Amino acid sequence: MFDEATLARSREMGEAWETRYRRLVERFGDAAPERATDPETHSGLPLKSAYFPHDIAHIDPGLIGAPGGYPFTRGNLAAQYQLMHWANQPVIGYGLPEHTRERMDLLAEEGMVGYFGQRFYNLVYDLVSHEGLDPDHPAARGRIGQSGMAVYSKADMARLFDGLDLKAMNVIHISYYQVVPALAQYIAYGADRGVSPEELRGNSMNWYHQSAYVGMSAFPPAQGHKLAVDLINYCTRNMPRWNTTNFFGYGVEEAGGTAIHEIGLMLAYGIDLVRACVASGLKADDALPRFGFQISQANDFFEEICKIRALRRLWATTMQERFGAEDPRSMHVRIHTHTSGASLTAQQPLVNLIRTTLHTLGAAMSGVQAMEVSAYDEAFAIPTEESATLALRAQQVIQEETNITAVSDPLAGSYYVEALTDQMAAAALELVDEIEAQGGYVAAQQSGWIRKTVESSAERWQELVDSGQRRIVGRNTYATDAPAEIELFKVDPEVERVAVERVRELRASRDAARWESAMDRFAGIATDFADRSYEELGDGVLMEAAVEAAKADATTGEMMGVLKDALGWRAPHEY
Amino acid sequence: MSTEPTASADPIRVLLAKPTHDCHDRGVRLVARRLREAGFEVIFSNFLLAAEVVDAAVEEDVQVVGISSSAGGHMPVFEDLFAGLEENGLADVLVIAGGVIPPDDVAVLRKKGVTEIFGPGSTADDAIRLIRSRLGANR
Repeated sequence: MFDEATLARSREMGEAWETRYRRLVERFGDAAPERATDPETHSGLPLKSAYFPHDIAHIDPGLIGAPGGYPFTRGNLAAQYQLMHWANQPVIGYGLPEHTRERMDLLAEEGMVGYFGQRFYNLVYDLVSHEGLDPDHPAARGRIGQSGMAVYSKADMARLFDGLDLKAMNVIHISYYQVVPALAQYIAYGADRGVSPEELRGNSMNWYHQSAYVGMSAFPPAQGHKLAVDLINYCTRNMPRWNTTNFFGYGVEEAGGTAIHEIGLMLAYGIDLVRACVASGLKADDALPRFGFQISQANDFFEEICKIRALRRLWATTMQERFGAEDPRSMHVRIHTHTSGASLTAQQPLVNLIRTTLHTLGAAMSGVQAMEVSAYDEAFAIPTEESATLALRAQQVIQEETNITAVSDPLAGSYYVEALTDQMAAAALELVDEIEAQGGYVAAQQSGWIRKTVESSAERWQELVDSGQRRIVGRNTYATDAPAEIELFKVDPEVERVAVERVRELRASRDAARWESAMDRFAGIATDFADRSYEELGDGVLMEAAVEAAKADATTGEMMGVLKDALGWRAPHEY
Repeated sequence: MSTEPTASADPIRVLLAKPTHDCHDRGVRLVARRLREAGFEVIFSNFLLAAEVVDAAVEEDVQVVGISSSAGGHMPVFEDLFAGLEENGLADVLVIAGGVIPPDDVAVLRKKGVTEIFGPGSTADDAIRLIRSRLGANR
């Protein structure tokens, strides 16, 4: 990248700097903070205190590239935010579907906008749905409409979406393992509105891989993996505008993993998933263009930016070299940033506004495609109207006021940023090799290796906080005794009664014969699915049967009951 | 304060439980590790219904039950838990809680009999101190 003369000068300057730096360290010795002479990233990667041209001389300039050019280190497209801002995608969901709709309409009114003025709705289901239950199940009490919307049927979809133009909007369905019923009910609702599956735009999470590090009951990993592959097959054939899979990197960092764990695990899962898709008969270029990522933006400002640049480079090179991907869209890492919730504090909650603003700025400098910015009160409850609007404003201020959208990948060429990007890529590849040596991601999910790795990382992080090496303002430094006095959001207590009544009414009024025959067929296909190999996936019959059941007003609890019986369902600690 | 066990009496048995739908298990898993390091016998479990926690408490003969909740929906769990413990003659089991529990609920839960609620900012040592102070400092 540099000629010999430049490198020689660079080394000379570097040595001179180091001498001066050491002298300063010696002089201020005791007063200097820990690690003044051996800094590291939050992931534990060693850093220098200043970078020079010779620190990046080993990097092939082709691996840095140009915005929109392979290997896309500097961004997916030649234009970053010049023609189109990132999409605002706040997570929305609480109470009854009509309560969630109120918040959707409020945020749309306040300027929440997707690509080129399109509407994006990033909607999260409630705890009852996540568990694959209906609101009249004994375990639903207290959980209905909590942390998400009480949507369990095609009829609830109508309450949520009536009056909106389904063809002109994107709906991201944030489900955990109830992916099949959620999408089936949306398709069934679309059919009632005269909208066909190929016209629907949006996202399924297809998040079975996250049971490796997220503590919720789940399908056994291999069965979940098959469900993911099958959905990709179904959507590839029937829903060309639908994004099939979201890589839940965010959850890795939230669970205590490092930035390297986050991108390494996602790459390892990507390899396993594409391998299984290919086994099922798809080409890499069929499946890959509809994958997306949810990535965390946490506290180590530069590491979090370099993480994203490294992930883009690794994904493109891996998908091309291993699977022969040719379509640029197959090599793009489309990122929905979720600013880190785990780095927010309950102490001095308004300080969270400052943290989330920095996270947002970092994500903007990384060139991500969409953002959810956490609200300052999320360490307590679902955001209020005020806090949700403020979180949107953080995005808008950075988008509209700072002029950082003028230039793509503004940090490119920084000796530090390029060196760290390269270092992170190497560290993530090591993790991938370690997982591949165990038989791939799903095998390491099954054995509990991934959980153990993330958990040990969480413990290390906690030790650093407890010992004061990792500072958290308001928590282990600058703490005050003043209790946080903020107004918290509460879900209307009537929600439970109404949701239970509705599901009972639905069961009483639906065409019982049609429901029974659709559910019988779905159950038969699910039983058969349990014994299938990857090579036998892809005929789409499971999803088709689910859509028929949803059209017959089958509920989330009923459909998930079938899948749990057929495929197994276990508490997370049993893996 | 030291969290090392200081005598050879039978270790205190603690059941830590988390609702299956609540993905925020980073904290409770860490607490489980720290309590083990401090010499307690720790059983960690996920549950759908509070009855499962009661069954586990009976079966494992625990002196402490800790419920972790960070996603809401905890109030009915504690109602059912206390009823179940009482029915099974375990009314004297020490019940503690942790996670994200709104201040309004904290006041109610204390009245119901939750001895301590370890919210954000608490440490595993806080829980260890409380358990030892209630159940014997030398175990």
